[in-house]
Amino acid sequence: MTPHGVIALIPAACTSCMLCVRECPSWCITLDSHTESIDEPGARRPRTVSVLDGFTIDYGLCMYCGICVDVCPFDALEWLGQHDYPEADRSALVHDLDRLSAWLD
Amino acid sequence: MPAPAGDRGRAVIAVDCSAWSTALGDLHAEGFVYLDFLTGVDRIDSIEIVARVVDPSTLEGRIVATRVTGGSVASIASLFPAAGWHERETAEMFGIAFDGHPDPRPLLLHAQSSRPPLLKSTVLAARAVSAWPGGVEIVRRSQRPAGVPDDWLKPR
Repeated sequence: MTPHGVIALIPAACTSCMLCVRECPSWCITLDSHTESIDEPGARRPRTVSVLDGFTIDYGLCMYCGICVDVCPFDALEWLGQHDYPEADRSALVHDLDRLSAWLD
Repeated sequence: MPAPAGDRGRAVIAVDCSAWSTALGDLHAEGFVYLDFLTGVDRIDSIEIVARVVDPSTLEGRIVATRVTGGSVASIASLFPAAGWHERETAEMFGIAFDGHPDPRPLLLHAQSSRPPLLKSTVLAARAVSAWPGGVEIVRRSQRPAGVPDDWLKPR
């Protein structure tokens, strides 16, 4: 049984497919990304990659259902056991990309 | 009535709306005297009323459900006193009446002027005014197959 605490992001695994954003019933995830073209030597055409610019989870709205963790095809979201991130301000409960990826450092 | 086979306690016994109090009465007589919960589900074409009753001596449970289309169903509060509050909450949340309820006052909500909140047709105001984050178009899909130049439709 996975520990159901904070949800952490592995940015290297995220492809900006938007499945977590779309499936979240609380609408608490936002995602920003852009694509870049990378020239591969010897390839017929450049390779297109998605670059993650922003990813936020609003823990003021999150109901810890775990649908985002279940639906991610690349396992970029993970349950951790941490519960201790209280804030005095509701807006501080919106965790951005840096904060979400720092859990796993 | 016997438990549906192989159900692990989760199978739902479906009964007709008119047979609701009879079914619960039969279960009560069989020893299922403890009401775990009674609640509703908006199935769009009807409101499903679900109740779970437990036999305290064996801790076995039975889940019974019925579909209400006429806006009301019999109250079981005289048989299961706990149903008193469960039915009051279900009534105000789904707009259903429980016939024969000894005290049909609202339990949690103040004004009866607002629509029953748990009906799917009741729009949550906060949801209606906020933008869905999933609607963002992340333009990364090429509008053209690989290798096709930008001007392939233009005459050269």
